[in-house]
Amino acid sequence: MNENRRQILEMLAAGKITADEAERLLAALEPDSTASAGDFTGNTAGSHGGRGAGVKTHAKYLRVLVEADEKMTGMKGPTTVNVRVPMQLLRAGVRLASLIPVQAQEQLDEALNRHGVPLTVSQIKPENLEELIDHLEDLTVDVDGKDGNATKVRVFCE
Amino acid sequence: MIPNIAVLEIENPHYHMPRLWLPLFLLWIPLALVLILISPLLLIALLALAMLTGVSPWRIVALFWNVLSSLSGTHVHVTANGNKVLVRIL
Repeated sequence: MNENRRQILEMLAAGKITADEAERLLAALEPDSTASAGDFTGNTAGSHGGRGAGVKTHAKYLRVLVEADEKMTGMKGPTTVNVRVPMQLLRAGVRLASLIPVQAQEQLDEALNRHGVPLTVSQIKPENLEELIDHLEDLTVDVDGKDGNATKVRVFCE
Repeated sequence: MIPNIAVLEIENPHYHMPRLWLPLFLLWIPLALVLILISPLLLIALLALAMLTGVSPWRIVALFWNVLSSLSGTHVHVTANGNKVLVRIL
């Protein structure tokens, strides 16, 4: 992530600019970009997200780390989740989605939209798969709990 | 490359299973024999899936092979409520 992008995201996180303004600024940094800069940003307070400066890192794994305390989960002792998924498996999994029949894809899209996930599975084609994975490689989401809530969530590629 | 070893560890407050290293490569040979035995059923399922999705049967086999061979490097470690589960595929 380059310095300009970081500054924009920090301003967004600090509430100095709106998400729309941040999107415009990020788009201005990459005039050749056709995708929306906010495609992979989270709406959770305290989260940072965005694509990198176009440098291909060729990350091998997607990592998801979660640490939650007893107050958050209601369980005894801390709860931790540490998942590492090979990017190759993600690619294979998305390709496998092509086996979902069209009718089922439509139902899946409807169900996802109903639950607030604006994802259209039927639009994920092999030709834009690589672009999707490339964007995912630059994804970083950090969420820290507030008000005494010690929950931490990190999603990143390595 | 298809996964060769899986590591499994399960622990709860009352029981701690020692970490198991499962040699998956030893499973592939008997599994291949089983696949040969049930190949007529697999072929029917494959053709049905191909007709349903409009994807070539060879491509379907390739897709599943891709998933299988991409599993190496997967790591899942969950600790909750005093229980711990670790799964690693190497």
